[in-house]
Amino acid sequence: MNKKVTKIFLEILRYTIIVFGAFWMILPFFWLFSASLMTPQELLSDTPRWLPERPQWGNYLQVLKRVPIFTYYKNSVIVATSVTVLVILTSSMAGFAFAKLRFRGRRILFSFVLSTMMFPVFIFLIPVYYLMKLFGWLNSYLSLIVPFAVSGYGIFLLRQFVMTIPDELLDSARLDGAKEFRIYSTIILPLIKPALATLAILTFIGQWNSFLWPLIVTSNAQKLITLPVGISRLSLAFSTTETQHLILTALVYQVVPMVILFLYLQRYYVKGFVLSGFSNL
Amino acid sequence: MACKLFSSKRKSLERNTGAGYLFLAPALLFYSLFFIYPVIFSFIVSTKRWNMLVPLSRARNVGFSEYSYLLKDEMFLGVLTNTLIYALLTVSLTITIALILAVLINGAKLSVLWRFIYFAPVVTPQVAIGTIWGYLYRPNNGLLNSILRLFGMKPVYWLTDPNVALFSIIATAVWAGIGGSMLIITAGLKNIPQDYYDAAKIDGAGPFRQFFYITVPLLSPTLLFLTATGFIGAWQVFDLPFTMGRNAPARSVMTVSWYVYETAFQSLRMGRASAGAFLLFCIIFVFTLLILWIFKRGGIKGYE
Repeated sequence: MNKKVTKIFLEILRYTIIVFGAFWMILPFFWLFSASLMTPQELLSDTPRWLPERPQWGNYLQVLKRVPIFTYYKNSVIVATSVTVLVILTSSMAGFAFAKLRFRGRRILFSFVLSTMMFPVFIFLIPVYYLMKLFGWLNSYLSLIVPFAVSGYGIFLLRQFVMTIPDELLDSARLDGAKEFRIYSTIILPLIKPALATLAILTFIGQWNSFLWPLIVTSNAQKLITLPVGISRLSLAFSTTETQHLILTALVYQVVPMVILFLYLQRYYVKGFVLSGFSNL
Repeated sequence: MACKLFSSKRKSLERNTGAGYLFLAPALLFYSLFFIYPVIFSFIVSTKRWNMLVPLSRARNVGFSEYSYLLKDEMFLGVLTNTLIYALLTVSLTITIALILAVLINGAKLSVLWRFIYFAPVVTPQVAIGTIWGYLYRPNNGLLNSILRLFGMKPVYWLTDPNVALFSIIATAVWAGIGGSMLIITAGLKNIPQDYYDAAKIDGAGPFRQFFYITVPLLSPTLLFLTATGFIGAWQVFDLPFTMGRNAPARSVMTVSWYVYETAFQSLRMGRASAGAFLLFCIIFVFTLLILWIFKRGGIKGYE
């Protein structure tokens, strides 16, 4: 009897903690949406409001009129998609080589790839910026895409996956006379699809939210401004009290598509992490 | 015989050397251009006084004076302390809270819904998170102070009090990071065989003992991964302090990456900025080895 009481108490405690935490997770999003529909007076009033008196749906149109949100969207989509495609391609090729091909220097090269992950990004800011200037890429998408075309993390992740494919499968294909490129494209790629999906999502989200590098590169190339940089500049565009509230409305434009996309893709996320065997590293 | 064995082994070792390098070619080309070259370039820059406007060859050589300047500069040391506090608190709090929540949510009703809610900040840009929390933290009309007022407490100057601002930003970082760590911990939890828990139950172990004697030890490789990668990321934090701390007084929340960014791209002191970046790399390197060593002493192997 006593044991049962403890158990019920623990269950109540458990759900109280979960729900309390969830409340704090939702609160900022809820407030963002609510504030995006407020008038400037409501947003700045001394007694903060949880809900607008009358939702100002016009705020959303106002933002579209004043900020080239769709240009930002377009730039972000172009950059994030290109980087994702390149990362998938380079990581799967290198992952295949490290996992299944035997060549001299394999181990050292793989350790090298792992160690690159430890270097802070801002060692690269100045030299890569200089390179971009040298190549004449500062005014083009290339400067936002090419420096991210290879990911050490991606190579590591896909190598772990390709290792799980049995060697016999590849050897029998080799006996049939298949060249390594055929093995890569007809055996490896189809078998690691779940991992590719996980890596694609991770890369896409990382690029979509990437801030520091686009901030530096686009400082002289307005037409390349991506969403995070655009949003960070809103405080300049909307500095007066009559427009300040539109910053929050613009944020909704940025936040919502990603959250919806993630709703659709959530299972790949979790599956990829379970499959990649983080706990057996 | 030995020779023959050796040669046949060599032959199989080199069997697809050509293909191996061919498949690695894009990555190797990339790394030489965007990794090796920049690291060397950066190091050379760190020994020069250069503003990027003249060719590097015409920059004056200053040896290691920028390094010794930084190590004596009160501002840089303050920035370093801020980053250290940020890294220690953010990583430890995020992992602890994520671990507790992941265990509580695992097997709970509506677990998919809870995971989704906790994960939402991970897909939200840090810049957006910083802006939203900047509003919630407003001193007079922010939501947080209005909640405090509800309980009869005095308002807190979350982002303008130099003793509080850094901790407010850390709180936001933890809020934003819980979901990602939770996801990885959940994946680790699914790999723990249920038998262990069944056996523990038969022996009469309650949920707390199960947590400390089964879950935590078996999750330790996952926790090592999160700690190591968490620190590597936290040392480089930029977005949140940069978006939230612009009104904080006396650079009380400036981090190393922010300092490097400002030194390089606003003050145009490329040498000093590169020296700062290299100092940070040394710190990250030593720190990562330290973490691997601590975990190793506890019997947990590194991830390689």
